[in-house]
Amino acid sequence: MSTSASTLTRPARLPLMTVLHYWVAVTVVIGMAFPLVWMLYSGFKTNQEIATSPLALPAVWNWHHLVEAWQLGNLGRLYLNSLLVTGTSVTALVMIASLAAYAFARLRFRGRDALFYLLLIGLLLPAQVVIIPLFFLLRDMQLLNTYWALILPYMSWPLALTIYLLRSYYLTLERELEDAARIDGANLLQTYAFVMFPLVRPALATVVILNLVNLWNELLFAMLFIQDERLRTLPAGLLAFSGHYLVDYRLVFAALSITTVPVLVLYFVFQRQVIAGLTTGALD
Amino acid sequence: MRLPSRAAPAGHRATVAKATDARRRSRPARAARLEEAQKYLFVLPALLLFGTFVLLPLGSAVYYSFTTWDGLRTPEWVGWRNYVRAWNDSIHIRSYVNVGIYIAGTLVVEVAFGLLIAVLLASDRRGFGFMRGLFFSPMVLSMVAAGLLWTYVYDYRRGLLNEGLRALGLAEWAHPWLSDGGTAMLAVIIVSGWKYAGFYMIIFLAALRRIPVTLYEAAMLDGATPLQRLWHVTLPLLRETGVVAILLCVTGGFAAFDLFFTMTGGGPFNATEIPTTWIVKQAFDRHNMGYGAALTVVMTVVVGLVSLAYLLVTRRRHTVEY
Repeated sequence: MSTSASTLTRPARLPLMTVLHYWVAVTVVIGMAFPLVWMLYSGFKTNQEIATSPLALPAVWNWHHLVEAWQLGNLGRLYLNSLLVTGTSVTALVMIASLAAYAFARLRFRGRDALFYLLLIGLLLPAQVVIIPLFFLLRDMQLLNTYWALILPYMSWPLALTIYLLRSYYLTLERELEDAARIDGANLLQTYAFVMFPLVRPALATVVILNLVNLWNELLFAMLFIQDERLRTLPAGLLAFSGHYLVDYRLVFAALSITTVPVLVLYFVFQRQVIAGLTTGALD
Repeated sequence: MRLPSRAAPAGHRATVAKATDARRRSRPARAARLEEAQKYLFVLPALLLFGTFVLLPLGSAVYYSFTTWDGLRTPEWVGWRNYVRAWNDSIHIRSYVNVGIYIAGTLVVEVAFGLLIAVLLASDRRGFGFMRGLFFSPMVLSMVAAGLLWTYVYDYRRGLLNEGLRALGLAEWAHPWLSDGGTAMLAVIIVSGWKYAGFYMIIFLAALRRIPVTLYEAAMLDGATPLQRLWHVTLPLLRETGVVAILLCVTGGFAAFDLFFTMTGGGPFNATEIPTTWIVKQAFDRHNMGYGAALTVVMTVVVGLVSLAYLLVTRRRHTVEY
């Protein structure tokens, strides 16, 4: 933290103020984090315990609830589906977006600006707007109930924002390197692939994280375009699971823990990068 | 990553070899044309995808909106009938009132609360970095997970909230928050705040850090109290960030779906029905594809107009330079 921000809240040398500051901050943060903690330990309780004393810690830590939830919810399969769909989409999306972003930032060709503005329409559109025609388009392509029903829309919808963000990064790169490569006889693609693309790695990390988190958590397309429960991704599968075991509280809590804890752990490990990724675009 | 050093000389040799070729004279013009064409290859994949899965469906939505269609038979042209129906559909109108309330609520619990937390947690004292990280953490969870968790938090008998109230001796405050139409919307708004306040906190923190220390020093020399510094120095300088934050919150509010679908499904009795949940119901429960498409067109226009109006209104006022 830089000093400019802290001067706001540092009313200098008063221990009472320090204590008060901590007290308010800790209270707010505990209030916010407690539902997660409650979720974590509730998964280990029996339904009986959850019914009679909802706040208490488990009398016995029933680890087998996790195993049961994992098996009954076929959570391993859901994880695999999510990994496949999100991994493929994000990789392809970022590759394609980076190519286009480079061209929009650095190359001159007829219609460039018109095409870029056309693309920017995508920044304003909520994806819900096309669910109906998209559903029938995918049906006619015979892609419903395949991974492609998610991968293709997942590659396309974030394009506008991803290209927009990467383009502004390509615009900041020095022209000398590019010119040097051209003078050395590298063609356009070589210049891009070996000189410019490696230079945008910091920005790539940002847009990869942004899209990874958003697509990993996507629900609407996932539940409409895939009905086959073996192909479902985590959010859609988790929702179906909770509908199925609505009153089997321990199982739902256990399934929630299984699906959220790994994400939270990854977040705390890569906290700086994740925060930068998720707030990029809002911070320019 | 080991390639760059090798690739440029390789390309160089290739060019030299070609240049000494017999067809040397025609080469520059053809190469230039080829290169001109290559440029389009860079944007082609993106434009193909964008055209097929974004623009084409958008166009189809407009077409379907003038038809009546169950998704199976051929769409039948009905002119403006779906739009007239949308205008007279009291639940549709109500869905906009509801989303308006939701957006107003999220402006408080996401943006305003986020700003408050940014000021509260902007400190380099021990532990504050950790607390900021914790406060941001719900951002990485799915809306489904957040919605399910909070559905159980709000559970009348077994929920954390009601049981907490009982433990505090406030048993008469215990309430079926989600199944009462009077409190369901508020309950969903709170979850939105829980999920997103951390996002706005980070945005405001970044803005706070850009404010030069000298301004605070000047204010302190003038004898300003901490509250006065906050009110007269910090807040005016956060205006631009606030404009962006409000716009994000409003457009994000219109696009809300997951949380409502997970927690209330639009109920009880349409008390939390918002445009997106109503669209999905019309299209995928009742198979009114044409009517559903008309509702999506209405939503696109409304979101566009609201964003445009907001940007026009806020742009007129002067911005602070520092």
